[in-house]
Amino acid sequence: MKRSGRILSVILAAVMLATAFAFTSCADKNYAADNTTIKIGVSGPLTGDYASYGMAVSNCAKLAIEEINAAGGLNGIMFELIDTNDEADSAKVSATYSDMYQKGMQISLGTVTTGAGIEFKALAEEDNVFYLTPSATGDAIPNGTNGFQMCFTDSNQGTASAEYFNRNFAGKKIGILYQADNDYSVGINNNFKANLDDSLKATMVETSFTGKPTSYDSQAESLKDCDVVFLPIYTSEAAVFMRAATSKMKGDAIFFGCDGLDGIDTAVEGFDINTIKQEVSYLSHFNSKATEGPAAELIAKYNEKFDESKFPINQFGASAYDCVYAIYEALKVAVADGKTITATMSPSEFCDILSEVFRKDDFTIRGVTGECIGNEKSTISWNDDGTVSKNAIKYVVKEANA
Amino acid sequence: MKKFLSTIKWKYYIGYLVITLALAVTGILSAVNALPNSTLYLLEEITIALILAISLSVVVGFLGELSLGHAGFMCVGAYLGGKFSAVICEKFAVSDSNFAVFLLSLIAGGICAAVFGFIIGLPALRLKGDYLAIVTLAFGEIIRNIFLNTSSESFGGALGLPTPRMNKNILFVFGFLLVLATLAVVQNLIRSKHGRAITAIRDNEIAARATGIDITKYKLLVFVISSAFAGIAGVLYSYTKATVRSEIFDYNYSIEILVMVVIGGMGNLSGTMLSAAVITYLNNKLMAVLTGNLAVLQNLVYALILIGIIIYNNAPALKNVREKYNLGTLWAKITKPKKDPAKETDDTGRWDVVPTKIEMDEVLTVGIIKKDIEASEKKEEGKDE
Amino acid sequence: METFFSTLINGLSLGGIYAMIALGYTMVYGIAKMLNFAHGDIIMVGGYTIFLFLFINPIVAIAAAIVFCVVIGILIEKLAYKPLRGSSPLAVLITAIGVSYLLQSFAQILFGSATKFVEIATFEKKLQLGAVSIDIPTIITLVCSAAVMAALSIFVKYSKTGRAMIAVSEDKGAAQLMGINVNTIIMITFAIGSALAALAGVFTLLKSPAITPTFGAMPGIKAFTAAVIGGIGSIPGAMVGGLLLGIIETFSNAVPALSPYTDAVEFSILIIVLLVKPTGLLGKKRREKV
Repeated sequence: MKRSGRILSVILAAVMLATAFAFTSCADKNYAADNTTIKIGVSGPLTGDYASYGMAVSNCAKLAIEEINAAGGLNGIMFELIDTNDEADSAKVSATYSDMYQKGMQISLGTVTTGAGIEFKALAEEDNVFYLTPSATGDAIPNGTNGFQMCFTDSNQGTASAEYFNRNFAGKKIGILYQADNDYSVGINNNFKANLDDSLKATMVETSFTGKPTSYDSQAESLKDCDVVFLPIYTSEAAVFMRAATSKMKGDAIFFGCDGLDGIDTAVEGFDINTIKQEVSYLSHFNSKATEGPAAELIAKYNEKFDESKFPINQFGASAYDCVYAIYEALKVAVADGKTITATMSPSEFCDILSEVFRKDDFTIRGVTGECIGNEKSTISWNDDGTVSKNAIKYVVKEANA
Repeated sequence: MKKFLSTIKWKYYIGYLVITLALAVTGILSAVNALPNSTLYLLEEITIALILAISLSVVVGFLGELSLGHAGFMCVGAYLGGKFSAVICEKFAVSDSNFAVFLLSLIAGGICAAVFGFIIGLPALRLKGDYLAIVTLAFGEIIRNIFLNTSSESFGGALGLPTPRMNKNILFVFGFLLVLATLAVVQNLIRSKHGRAITAIRDNEIAARATGIDITKYKLLVFVISSAFAGIAGVLYSYTKATVRSEIFDYNYSIEILVMVVIGGMGNLSGTMLSAAVITYLNNKLMAVLTGNLAVLQNLVYALILIGIIIYNNAPALKNVREKYNLGTLWAKITKPKKDPAKETDDTGRWDVVPTKIEMDEVLTVGIIKKDIEASEKKEEGKDE
Repeated sequence: METFFSTLINGLSLGGIYAMIALGYTMVYGIAKMLNFAHGDIIMVGGYTIFLFLFINPIVAIAAAIVFCVVIGILIEKLAYKPLRGSSPLAVLITAIGVSYLLQSFAQILFGSATKFVEIATFEKKLQLGAVSIDIPTIITLVCSAAVMAALSIFVKYSKTGRAMIAVSEDKGAAQLMGINVNTIIMITFAIGSALAALAGVFTLLKSPAITPTFGAMPGIKAFTAAVIGGIGSIPGAMVGGLLLGIIETFSNAVPALSPYTDAVEFSILIIVLLVKPTGLLGKKRREKV
């Protein structure tokens, strides 16, 4: 007993000393100090239920970075992507964030999902790291100092949808189907209800589901008399619901969603939108089946490079593509203003430069999102609170069957 | 001094020793700013996992009941303790890192979780084995579902409950202190007469009852203590994050804690702690190493390691291999040189060496297989007719 | 009233699916005495097999799914569970969880995690019963699960293999002494369980035709709940539990104010049932003596 105890304490003391020496050298290290490229980090779900969003973001960001590098980078400085997997789990973000930080992340695209994004925000504020999130729509995500958004906030989408409903669907019976365990869905739904006219609210039917239910029959039964069904949910759930509901509902009813419905006709492999008898439309900033304009070009490039049957492009990816270009353009503006940019600058230095540019009133870019074909005003700019200002377009995916 | 050292039962103090040393090393390193943030966050995760694993092992390892709802108790602690600290911090305008508020919310969260532990302990009096397992799983999911659907003003609902976040340079120290506290309570409970009563219930409930052990009292006691510490882990969790979100506490999380306890060895606290730390570390490293397109391999590697370890540790066919190559024998090889037979016999009569380790076979088979009982029962049924 | 009946029908058809999965759970539990947490993921394997073979013909796809699931089920049993025969149930439980992660990762590597829509067949016609209409998949699901339950009961009670199964479940050692090959019997049990999971996959796809790598997890847990409500180990119990759970879920979802709490409602029912009858509705009562 005595002997083992002594040996143990000797071993532990040795370990203690060794670790003490090993770590003292890296005190207060700026991890970007030996970067040779500007590293852009993104934390998203690369596995799990939301992996198709995370992978689209990761792929599109890679695509944009490759294009920028092929065109010579930023005056010869190349870019590099660090993508980590948070599984859309807010508990994993401190690990993914600190991992990217240590790998030399200087600028970030934040997170793909809102729940994870709120953690990311808290961490990034401490270190003064700049993030421009492609798809974390939560109202709390942007702050206008180091946090900016490329997508619309939940409240914007909810309010815009409610206003559209107030204008166009007066006197009709409104139904809502939301996902109770999803912050995106609940966030939009709360804002939608808050801005809906009382006359519409009086006859409104609201129902919900949790997770990925095996059956949507009850929900379809509850909503079968509605004229318009508001669907602040994602494509795969919406596709299954609409398939279950289409034969129960009136032929002239409308399924109306937000940007989560983007790609409803293409993103879900094997789903034929024409089996839905009713009209399907959504309010979004990207059209993933565009046949002309910059969106179509991006889709063609993406499908050439990546396996679209595994991870098809969607508005998440398109936003990420725009995010990388926005950061690139902002850095170019900074250089034009006389700032020097090097690959070894710290995240905090990048943050100060970038947030100054993003807050400028005249900083606008043109991207693949928010693009109305033929509309010269299809630009993207940022408000002082970090939210984005661009076109939201109502896309009619499919007209009602005659 | 020599004599003093030789009287210490190292087996029981090794846990405290390692944790204290880890605390000392990391504390000094962090004080001189030598630890990267990722390590600090990893330490937070490890301390939470340690508390959860130690507290779950009281139920699974020592009482011998399977619980799949440990994350549910943690959820209660995280939400109620987190709400408590958020309200206090806002009302009295104190900083997020205020120690008094932290302590109070730990107590509040622990008590709330203990109350829920008492409630779930009640069915445990009636149910056994897998039936109790599914009830605890159900309980965890109910708790989660209720917090999920709260309004945004009360507990945040799907948007999450914003909670104070403590400075990461201090929090892991509290984490280690809490691990020590948990270990102290659990180890002292197990080594007391109550602990022997609890293991007696595990080994044979009816015999235990016959000897006058108050089964009701002890089962409830175990559930209350276990869930109180899970609640404390929840409060600690709420202090590591900006928001508490209910989706974290699903049954998969409970299972992850159970995996730590099972791999560590049932009723073996040091093993449980080791496996909790290693599994947390492993998951963290897999995340950092397998990024981008390789991320999909994270779960694959984890699953393969999990299956491999369990089969290696438990397969009857590998018994010989196991006895030849394991930590215990390796350790013995290093330290063995002289064995003093006098001291060994001295140990056997002592109350504190009552075996706390058990073979896993005994757990959960109670009431499920029980061959003789069924046979005799059938005989009796025959008689009745 | 009309809504009530159509909700009831919807509940029965969902319950039929749960019953099918629960039958597999209960078979494996009853005979191998293990909670096969990977059972839900076998459904997913079946779903993806159908996805791969659907281009030929729905019948071929279903047959392929059943065959492939049986093969996978036997493989899993041989590689992961058999080495642990004779060790603790808890070790087997953890291995089952490991297998479940493994199957999900393989599915994601092979197919990605985007939802795939798999419509085995579309049925436009409906059966009219007064004011209530019943769609064809519902009828197929109900008839099939009832038939499977009946067939299983008869098989277990009267066939030689079935009686051997009972013997193995009662006492493995004694069964072996009586000349029963325990390993073969357990293998057959897994084969049957996996085939039932594949069938459950078919019915799930008829109802909600979308698969992802995690698509079997929740139905798996729900069916486990159903099996416990009915009394785990009991074949009619699995059927009763499945139908009951399906009806509860559907009615809870049909009330808009209650629909976010559906999971809580279902699990509360489970707890209440177990508190009243600790071994489930049709479970065998066991008295313990020393």
